[in-house]
Amino acid sequence: MTLPTASLPTLNLAAPAPSAATPFGDELRRQMHGRALLRASFEETWQALRRRYEPAALEPWATGVLELAKVNAGPGCLLAFWRASVTLGRRLPPDALGAAGLGAAGLAAANVCRAAGAPAALAVIEAFERIAERLDAEAQRRWWTMMTATAQGAPDEIALFAGHMPTLLARGSLAEVEAFATAGRRAAGRDRARRRAFFALEDPLSRRLLARMGAGPGFAELEVGLRRLLAALWGDRPGFPPSLQPLPVPEIGDAPRRANIAGPVIRLPEVFSGVTGAASHALYRAASAHAGAHLAYGGPRFTLGKVKPVQMACINLIEDARIETLAMARFPGLRRLWAPFHVTAPSAEPLAALLLARIARALFDPGYQDPDALIAKARALFAERSDRLDDPALSFDIGTRLANDLGQRRIRFDARGHVVEPAYRDDGLGLWDFGEENAERTEEVELAVDAARIERREEENAPQPPEAAPQPEPTGRARPAPADERGRIVARYPEWDAQAGLERADWTTLREVEPALGDPRTLARALERAGPLRARIARLVRAAKVGRAVRLKRQVEGHALDLDAAIEAAVSRRVGETPDERVFTASALRQRDLAVLVLLDTSESTRERLPDGASVLDIEKLAVAMLAEAMAGLGDEMALAAFASAGRDDVRYIHVKRFTERYSEDGAARLAGLQSGLSTRLGAALRHAGEEIAGVRAFRKLILVLTDGEPSDIDVDRPSDLVADARRVVLGLRARGIDTFGVTLDPGGVGSGAAIFGTTNTMPVRRIDDLPMRLSELYFRLARR
Amino acid sequence: MDASTSPLDRYRIAAEPFYQPVDNEVSVFEAAWQHRLPVMLKGPTGCGKTRFVEHMAWKLGRPLVTVAAHEDMTAADLAGRFLLGPEGTMWQDGPLTLAVRHGGICYLDEIVEARQDTTVVIHPLTDARRVLPLEKRGELIHAHPDFQLVISYNPGYQSAVKDLKESTKQRFIALDFDYPEPVLEAGIVAREAGTDTELAGLLVTIAGCTRRLRGQGLDEGASTRMLIHTGRLVAGGVPLEMAVRAGIILPITDDADVRETLGAAISACLP
Ligand SMILES: Nc1ncnc2c1ncn2[C@@H]1O[C@H](COP(=O)(O)OP(=O)(O)OP(=O)(O)O)[C@@H](O)[C@H]1O
Ligand SMILES: [Mg+2]
Repeated sequence: MTLPTASLPTLNLAAPAPSAATPFGDELRRQMHGRALLRASFEETWQALRRRYEPAALEPWATGVLELAKVNAGPGCLLAFWRASVTLGRRLPPDALGAAGLGAAGLAAANVCRAAGAPAALAVIEAFERIAERLDAEAQRRWWTMMTATAQGAPDEIALFAGHMPTLLARGSLAEVEAFATAGRRAAGRDRARRRAFFALEDPLSRRLLARMGAGPGFAELEVGLRRLLAALWGDRPGFPPSLQPLPVPEIGDAPRRANIAGPVIRLPEVFSGVTGAASHALYRAASAHAGAHLAYGGPRFTLGKVKPVQMACINLIEDARIETLAMARFPGLRRLWAPFHVTAPSAEPLAALLLARIARALFDPGYQDPDALIAKARALFAERSDRLDDPALSFDIGTRLANDLGQRRIRFDARGHVVEPAYRDDGLGLWDFGEENAERTEEVELAVDAARIERREEENAPQPPEAAPQPEPTGRARPAPADERGRIVARYPEWDAQAGLERADWTTLREVEPALGDPRTLARALERAGPLRARIARLVRAAKVGRAVRLKRQVEGHALDLDAAIEAAVSRRVGETPDERVFTASALRQRDLAVLVLLDTSESTRERLPDGASVLDIEKLAVAMLAEAMAGLGDEMALAAFASAGRDDVRYIHVKRFTERYSEDGAARLAGLQSGLSTRLGAALRHAGEEIAGVRAFRKLILVLTDGEPSDIDVDRPSDLVADARRVVLGLRARGIDTFGVTLDPGGVGSGAAIFGTTNTMPVRRIDDLPMRLSELYFRLARR
Repeated sequence: MDASTSPLDRYRIAAEPFYQPVDNEVSVFEAAWQHRLPVMLKGPTGCGKTRFVEHMAWKLGRPLVTVAAHEDMTAADLAGRFLLGPEGTMWQDGPLTLAVRHGGICYLDEIVEARQDTTVVIHPLTDARRVLPLEKRGELIHAHPDFQLVISYNPGYQSAVKDLKESTKQRFIALDFDYPEPVLEAGIVAREAGTDTELAGLLVTIAGCTRRLRGQGLDEGASTRMLIHTGRLVAGGVPLEMAVRAGIILPITDDADVRETLGAAISACLP
């Protein structure tokens, strides 16, 4: 990562020639002594810094201050910067922040000032003073880069963002804050009100992102595995595996969220705040297994009737113990999964929540000791019924009795603020039938109100990222729009935002562009020149035809003797007849049922010239032309398409040859006419290719992507996001029975091909000249499967 | 027929193969045998089909000729062919012909693997005619009264390409095999692997987890055979978790995510 660009200040020609050793320091002192308002403070700062640093070491710092002065940052900024320099210089060891680091900070602050004005720069400098201690030297540089970029992208909001910086960095890592800033710039786009709300932490998306900081992996990453876990444990029961859905994370300061069961659906928090890594994995598993046990061993929902919140909480508690005991009878290892979360201990505090957690632990953990009589009573009641655990009514009975005892002890129960403990357990609302006719009564029960709040919030947040306008049509359906020079809009596709961990609906716009016609003869000539290669591919075509095990008997040539024919021939010879020489077996193509779409990346990088003058794109065209010949020879269904992009609103897709037409002179002309240019938004193009091939009837469907394996686009800062998005598309296509393979032009062998297509589905091509052969080989290898 | 001279002698099963009946398959098979009706055993891999046929052949005192079908198998591989000898050509009966001629049970394992034009040679044998025409020799063999045909077939693998012809299917009495009830299966595992029933029961519970993942990341769940192998590892001193990994998790999938989930589910089964 490099520093924000800032040229060294040009020196005032009228100034006296600076001494050779410390030209900038001298210049700075000269300038500051000329400013009455600043002179004293400057001198004070200068002296303080001089006590720490050699004059030569202060040169970068002086450079920074000069730059701030030059961009008219104003006295406020200068004073703030000086104060920050002195305090941070005092507080931080030189290896964390030296004079050079301070100088770099000054230059960066000047850039912020250029982009967003002096007040913004002031806010950023003040924020820096407050957070610098959390960051090492490298992180500080990254922080300034982020602030500069944000100042440029969101000049009116950078001050707000800076103001929240201590909060943000207290919660999340620098990387997460960087992702937050990027997400904000991107999500809000040119919508100023939205941007303002985002950086003021008032926008729902920014609140969600904030709540997710310092947590994860979350629901999105773990969902598939959790679903499988539930299937493995209880998949033979009706309703399994249940549908899993994410619950939006609560905002900062709200009570932590618990899992929730809604009929046959298990809803899990998007993340468990503050839980990371293996711990997060464990918590999700514990929560899923617990909720799964409810579905597996639970009865019909309890009728709410006149049950009070405290009774409800107690009944839930016993029901939890009941279903967990049943689950552990079958899967004893679940105890290991749940035990680490039961950490509560005896205490004298008369809080209902604590007592409930202790009862929970006592019923779970036979070794737990607690002097409270209520605990002993709960255990005894539960043990009494241990032979009839199948009956959910016992939860109702025992729970009600425990709630009475709590009531007699006058222990207050805070229904609204109650959060079920331990954390892996669900909120218990799913056990209750609140009853339609009982609406008024329902409102009295505060827990129920809580439940409703969850629903409402989800409506606000969950169905679609807020920036997406509601779409009546299903995603990806063509919505024809007038063509402009960039082509006809045919679809909008979602895109996976790896940093935010969510899918943005209708994020990319796909346009079909009319292909330009080129001269097919150039391609034909290239094919001629590649004669030997072509012959090899032709042999492969023949091999593919025989590759499937349909035996042809009595062949003139073949790989094995046809025993019966050989014997007959031998017999004929002995009796003096002319033997039939066809004594071999061969195999022939079994009926193939294959459709292939070749997707060609024509982005700018394909313009690169090779030593012989041909461009990468030329070789790609040749490779595709050869493959097209081969496929036509085998009679496979085939389509060719090319793509490039210029931002998410402009992903271009060219039909070189559609499935419905024959590969002919026209197709060759369109192939020859492809031009290099623009970027590589692979995910969007793949989605469209997927739609195209999905409509074809074939037993096996393949998409072969020819790319440099490095997705990128002008509006994307981190190409890895596009890699993640493309990966997601590939997985999605596989689920639909469409296999995607990448042939990546990757001379260095460092590309993201494997990350996108998976190691077994990538073929990196080191020497571009090998491409035609490798592409065809790959095709034959795949086609044989 | 004089058994001592029969070419099928080497196909006789001397000792009783252990077979644990799961349902009424033994009596149905015996009834089918009474009328020499062809039998089709359907079921997933490693659930005891082969063992069952061996057991029945022993019980009925018939020799058992087993043929594993494969893609390249031709009708001649089943029926027989001429071989070249010093004196000229001589005919050699194929395994099917042997059983037909001399009265044995012919077991065609994984019949769907064979091509359909191979499978049709069994048609005249499996209807009222009970004959096997050997065109090459110009011979028509009437099946020995003790000949019976048994085929096996794993419906799990079947795809659009690989399935039995309707006219083939409809010639057979079918017996549906599946992994037995947990208690029975544990008994089988304990006996075959030489473990105690508690360990066997645990292995069966684990198998249950994998079988429920069929179609959810696994193509097939763990077979009884797999459990027996794993049990043998444990009986041989390999620690349980290691044995489960080597005997079940690793063979059954290459997908790292599925393995991880499987590991978690199996851990839930372990005490
Ligand atoms: N009911 C049973 N009684 C005794 N042993 C059994 C039984 N079921 C399975 N087994 C054991 O499982 C092993 C595997 O069974 P077998 O080889 O018969 O499977 P299969 O169904 O023929 O499988 P495949 O379709 O893969 O050939 C046997 O060797 C035997 O040890
Ligand atoms: Mg078998």
